[in-house]
Amino acid sequence: MFRKLHKNSETIKIWFEGSSLDVEEGQTVAAALLSEGHLFFRNSKISGQPRAPYCMMGVCFECMLEIDGQSSQQSCLIPVSEGMNIRRQT
Amino acid sequence: MIEKQADVVVIGGGIIGISLAYGLSKQNAKVLLIDKEDPLLTASRGNFGLVWVQSKGEGMPEYVEWCIEAADKWPQFSENLETETGIQLEYAKNGGVEIWLGDEEYNTRVNFIDRMRKASRSGTYDCEMLKTEELQEILPEIKLGEEVSGGSFCPHDGYVNPLNLVKAMHKGFKLSGGNYYSGQSVTNIEFLEPGFRIHTENNSYIAEKLVIAGGLVSKKLGKMVDIDVPVGPERGQVLVTERTKKILPFPAGRIRQNFDGSFMFGNSNEDVGYNIETTSEVMKKIAHRAIRTFPFLKNLQLIRSWSALRVLTPDRNPVYVESKTCPGAFAVTSHSGVSLASVHSSNLGEWIIEGSHQAKFEVFHPRRFDVPKTA
Amino acid sequence: MKKMIPLEYDYTIIGAGPAGMAAAITAREHGLSVLILDEQHNAGGQIFRNIEGIEKTLNSEFRKLGDEYKSGWSLVKEFKKCGADYFSERSVWQIDKDLGIHHISTNSNSFSSSIPSYIKTKNLLIAVGAMERPMPLPGWTLPGVMACTAVDALYKTSGLVPDKDVILAGSGPLLLLIACRLLDAGVHISALLDTNQRFAILKASPFLPQALRSFSYLKKGISMMQKIKNAGIPIYTGIKSIEALGKSKFEKVRFKNGTEFIELSAGMLLLHNGVVPNIQITRQLGCEHRWYELQRYWEPVVDDWGNTSLDGVSIAGDCGKISGSSISELTGNLAALDTVYKIGAISKVKRNQFSQPHRKELSYHKAVRPFLDKLFQPGKSWLIPEKKETIVCRCEEVTVNDIRQAISMGAQSPDRIKSLVRCGMGPCQARMCGLTVSEILADERNISPEEVGYLKIRSPIKPITLGKLAEID
Repeated sequence: MFRKLHKNSETIKIWFEGSSLDVEEGQTVAAALLSEGHLFFRNSKISGQPRAPYCMMGVCFECMLEIDGQSSQQSCLIPVSEGMNIRRQT
Repeated sequence: MIEKQADVVVIGGGIIGISLAYGLSKQNAKVLLIDKEDPLLTASRGNFGLVWVQSKGEGMPEYVEWCIEAADKWPQFSENLETETGIQLEYAKNGGVEIWLGDEEYNTRVNFIDRMRKASRSGTYDCEMLKTEELQEILPEIKLGEEVSGGSFCPHDGYVNPLNLVKAMHKGFKLSGGNYYSGQSVTNIEFLEPGFRIHTENNSYIAEKLVIAGGLVSKKLGKMVDIDVPVGPERGQVLVTERTKKILPFPAGRIRQNFDGSFMFGNSNEDVGYNIETTSEVMKKIAHRAIRTFPFLKNLQLIRSWSALRVLTPDRNPVYVESKTCPGAFAVTSHSGVSLASVHSSNLGEWIIEGSHQAKFEVFHPRRFDVPKTA
Repeated sequence: MKKMIPLEYDYTIIGAGPAGMAAAITAREHGLSVLILDEQHNAGGQIFRNIEGIEKTLNSEFRKLGDEYKSGWSLVKEFKKCGADYFSERSVWQIDKDLGIHHISTNSNSFSSSIPSYIKTKNLLIAVGAMERPMPLPGWTLPGVMACTAVDALYKTSGLVPDKDVILAGSGPLLLLIACRLLDAGVHISALLDTNQRFAILKASPFLPQALRSFSYLKKGISMMQKIKNAGIPIYTGIKSIEALGKSKFEKVRFKNGTEFIELSAGMLLLHNGVVPNIQITRQLGCEHRWYELQRYWEPVVDDWGNTSLDGVSIAGDCGKISGSSISELTGNLAALDTVYKIGAISKVKRNQFSQPHRKELSYHKAVRPFLDKLFQPGKSWLIPEKKETIVCRCEEVTVNDIRQAISMGAQSPDRIKSLVRCGMGPCQARMCGLTVSEILADERNISPEEVGYLKIRSPIKPITLGKLAEID
């Protein structure tokens, strides 16, 4: 989906759906996941159709994920941090 | 200038008005429903959706019986309406509980139930007190807060999606040949002896019978046909959360979980006039109480809130009245439009069309509010 | 030594974009106590997103972003030094009528006990900027369909670019800008679907003479169009109907060009139909808004200092009339100057004197706006999808058909429609569907959206956990 223009050697470890990812610091959770090829963030609560981030600026709410146990967080506004545990919501 | 004619004109398209209009049209009356839709005054959009018996009617045992009759009729009413319109009402009748924090609230409730039992004509009041352990047993998936001292459980209680209810009745009304006119503001009413001509800004409507169900506007409308409808506003605020796993099988008074998994919390009772703002103080209070009741709620995200004006009579009980000087003009108002929808769409219609059940509704006449003149 | 955070400020600014930063700098110059709240991790708003980060880690990209960006960088630097209390990653969830401001961390888990979640302010500046105009079309909810500015944000904050080819669809200056940016970053744009109306440039030509006064804008626009042409990107104009297709993610786009249907595959579809003021906060506060017919959006009613209809509340930047970063900075300065005067730090004469150079520059930048607004006037078929099954409210999956049906049931207001079909009830609280709902209702009733109005916006402006709500003081 996305590729990085420049490689940065400084990464931190986060967890997504139980698997670890090495991602660059200073980016949002949504950006980190997209950069690692994770496109599906959630399923619509109405029809179950898969959804992915649309606006990347906190307006569309398509990027909502459970982060460190807290539900419905706008992942495009939250920077990654070491050991962060991210899950999709059912 | 358009003039329309019918058997009955109902003024007010909220839950009371549409229940009456729907019921009347199912009883084969030709009904016109006219509606203004003032955003400040649309109480039906701010409804919590309880189909409730518990806590109502202190001082008026006939009203308690009326509530029970309505609750008994609700399952069939819901099934019929769903079949007729294809709209899901999200209705469930699993009983309902009101949860008390601390000993004082518990004891207050014990005394209340006692009073209601004594005042009832049957000598019973179907509300039982549950101690904390018993309450916890019927809510196995939810840990109760430490302050919870118990609950009062009533088997008659249930809940529904009030927006879908209004929507379904509007559809049912249309399917039964009813006509709905929105954006109509009544300017005056002429008594034609018999019958009425109702004037709005650009149209007029003629009917043999008239029903005023305009919520807070009913006061002004009632005056036009010499009916006193003593209603005033009381604000209530409600919080709505994100959708989450279904774990609350019945409403816990001011906490309920909708079919779609979102939680709703009320309630507030504020005397602030015609104001439908939401305030952080009240929202905080509502959230606080909810968390004290079910601690797990503290991690749920609040997505939206709303606020609406209840339509209250001085004793909070319904008013059903026919005008003396303009017979054929009726006013119907109740704070419990949802709970009573099942009977408003049946019994009440019969009263309006045929004049039956007269005696039964005497107790709801507004003359009960008249202060007796001192000698 | 820990800095004591005062509980009441002279001036609180929401939004650390060009408008907010300029206002903070100006207010601080005159000694006001200033608090600035912003949702992003770094200052800069959307246009200067992550500008400090880019300067540090992606220096080559920084140079590509051009002179405008460099001026943004120095603005951020000046802002960081000006002495305002700056809380990043904060979402405002409610503003009281007495200007009490309730805010929380964007991350519910972050422990920020030293930051009070409620402050009072004497004056408030809302500088939250703009958002993408929703561009509902069939399939727009598919993963892989994104707003153009979203991809731009990913580029700026993370140095990410689409790895496969992209198709751009829509119209507006930002579409051109982002197309050029993507080209510079080596992204393959396989097509540009221009939804602008035929002969738009002719319709806009009466405003051209005035626009020539801010010639640099026009020059930039022409050079962007030239660059896109030179890159050999197939450009389709006068398009009718766009559909995004794919099984569980975007695979191809289908559109009508003249009489024929064309299907093109690509990795992503990027949409952009202009930007509109983000009025969520001004609506919650109850400011008066008016409808701007030409660009089909609501803007708060303001005087020429940015003062809204509410005492003590002003706006600056693109959360008022859309004008771009230069005007945003200028309106930020003007709003701050007026506040500095109102608070008594300077006289009216001084205020007018200081504002003169800003007003002069403002008129230069403003000259191009009528032309641009007319040139990129949104067409009806992009405001109201023709296909009735198109989702309008993404959160609740409410379609055009659902909304039209609610109207046929007698709903005459957006809130009535909402109560019947649930549009606007989801987490985004009508940000993505509000404009479309009003457009459809206006269309059905044959009146202006101004008469139709907008959904009622209430707190919480952003979600807040019940626990955080209950703990506010």
